[in-house]
Amino acid sequence: MSGKKSSRKTFNAVFYSFAGFLFLYSAYLFLSNIDQLFVTKAAIETREITAVWGEDREVLNQFAGGFWKDPYFWKSLNLTVITTLITTLIAATLGIPTAYALSRYRIPGMSFIETLFSSLIVMPGSVIGICLIVMFNYGPLWKLQNALGFKFAHSIFPGMVIASLVLSFALGLSAWKAAFDSVNPRFEQVARSLGSSRWRAFWTVTFPLAKSGIVAGIILAWTRAMAEFSAVLFFCGTFHELPPSRFSNFTKFMQMDQADWVSVAVWAQVEFGNIEYGFALAFVLVLIGGLSVYVMHRIGAKGFVW
Amino acid sequence: MDLISRGRWWPVLCVGTAVTILAIYILLVASNWIYLGWHDTVYFFSKSRMWARFWLTVWTSTVSTFFSLFIGIPAGYALSRFKFPCRHFIASVIDLPIVVSPAVVGAFLFGITTRFPFDWISEYYGIYIGRNVYGVLLVQFTVTAAFCARLMKASFDIIPARFESVSRSLGASPMRTFFKVVLPMAKNGIIASMIVVWARAAAEWEGLMLFVGATEGKTDIMPFAIYLDWNGGMMGWVTSMSIVCILMAVSAISAMRMIGGRSNVW
Repeated sequence: MSGKKSSRKTFNAVFYSFAGFLFLYSAYLFLSNIDQLFVTKAAIETREITAVWGEDREVLNQFAGGFWKDPYFWKSLNLTVITTLITTLIAATLGIPTAYALSRYRIPGMSFIETLFSSLIVMPGSVIGICLIVMFNYGPLWKLQNALGFKFAHSIFPGMVIASLVLSFALGLSAWKAAFDSVNPRFEQVARSLGSSRWRAFWTVTFPLAKSGIVAGIILAWTRAMAEFSAVLFFCGTFHELPPSRFSNFTKFMQMDQADWVSVAVWAQVEFGNIEYGFALAFVLVLIGGLSVYVMHRIGAKGFVW
Repeated sequence: MDLISRGRWWPVLCVGTAVTILAIYILLVASNWIYLGWHDTVYFFSKSRMWARFWLTVWTSTVSTFFSLFIGIPAGYALSRFKFPCRHFIASVIDLPIVVSPAVVGAFLFGITTRFPFDWISEYYGIYIGRNVYGVLLVQFTVTAAFCARLMKASFDIIPARFESVSRSLGASPMRTFFKVVLPMAKNGIIASMIVVWARAAAEWEGLMLFVGATEGKTDIMPFAIYLDWNGGMMGWVTSMSIVCILMAVSAISAMRMIGGRSNVW
């Protein structure tokens, strides 16, 4: 009997240790870098060297660690949060009817559609960015933009929203489709047989039943839009060097001008040598991502790869 | 009138939206082919520079998939079966590398490699993890290990815990139960997840930007080479390489669907 107990204990210990390894690795990875937020002696020396070389690099943070005193930090956050909220809104308004159609109606080529949307999730971000550039900057869409007189690429409003929409829509769609798949279509048929219209049957029967899955899909789409990097980098680039005349009055009013998409800003600031800036923005992303994934675990969300 | 009053506009709207969005996505994926044309595709596909990068991508992602499976299968089983305090919190921390932007993960890896285990490894074993192919493997492992654990948890969640308790009640040890009952039942899910993990590892490049950088012929795996050649203005290489990446992703997903396991991320 004791032998059995000890074998159970070893078994548990082995499996716990693998999960514990992953937990400790992830926690160590994110927590051990907290000292990067502060300006160290090495960082000051690097800056002095850059000043002597006379490199034309913009050292943004003249407050020695006080990144929160600089408007760029807040403007970048503002830009990303507002843009991702708009993206999520568009993804939800387009994605929920699409998911319902894919889940309920017989559409030919269903396996092709599912393969397309699942492969988007494992496609490199750089490919998505290149596809967007090639799609919008060549051919008929380019002529259309010339005729209309504005460009999609390298702009905040259509550009960033389009770039973050591609993957967040694909991921949200998988969750919404799973939510509608989990609701038995019989309930809706009963409602229809009792005389309610198709819209009423959807709105009063299926939608409330699928509500938790739909909320999970919205959180998933928002998290994915916040985590977007490559598509925004390829399609929009960075904005903080652009002159103020390039920004519209609306973006100036919303305090979104001369700022970057947060994950692009992390990359750009670390490359420019403003390490504590980059890591401060990175920690904001970690906090937001951790919080939303915690909520998803709590409500038991499901998002299928296909 | 019939359309409005009987609510028939709703299915028409749904199917219309679905078809429009599908057309946009198909155009998005196919735009590279339309841009490049058949003749140039053949030209770039016959170059050895392309295939050197392709094989580099394949072998690095295969090695990192192997490591993440080694960690991910037991970790996924533990997350699926064991009940422990702060379960959601620990699962969220494990998930952090996949929900946070991979570029940020690259920045954090950049900070961690001068610290405890890594400086020790480079000092005593002479293995420098940074601007070489080991750095590529570390980035791919960091992102796919969490992804793998999540997919494996989903594969094990589908199997009812009853089979295990039956096997245990018949006197089998926990290890024997795991290897003879649980693993064979989860086989399809594990193979399907393995293919997805491989495709995800082959798609990882954002972490490389800050952490590894690119050395031509050494660390320029295909998604990263797209960025490099794009900066160099070589649109032919860029579009032909993104065609290869799209084909890799689509064929991996098709293989997974053929095997027919189920895997979900959240």
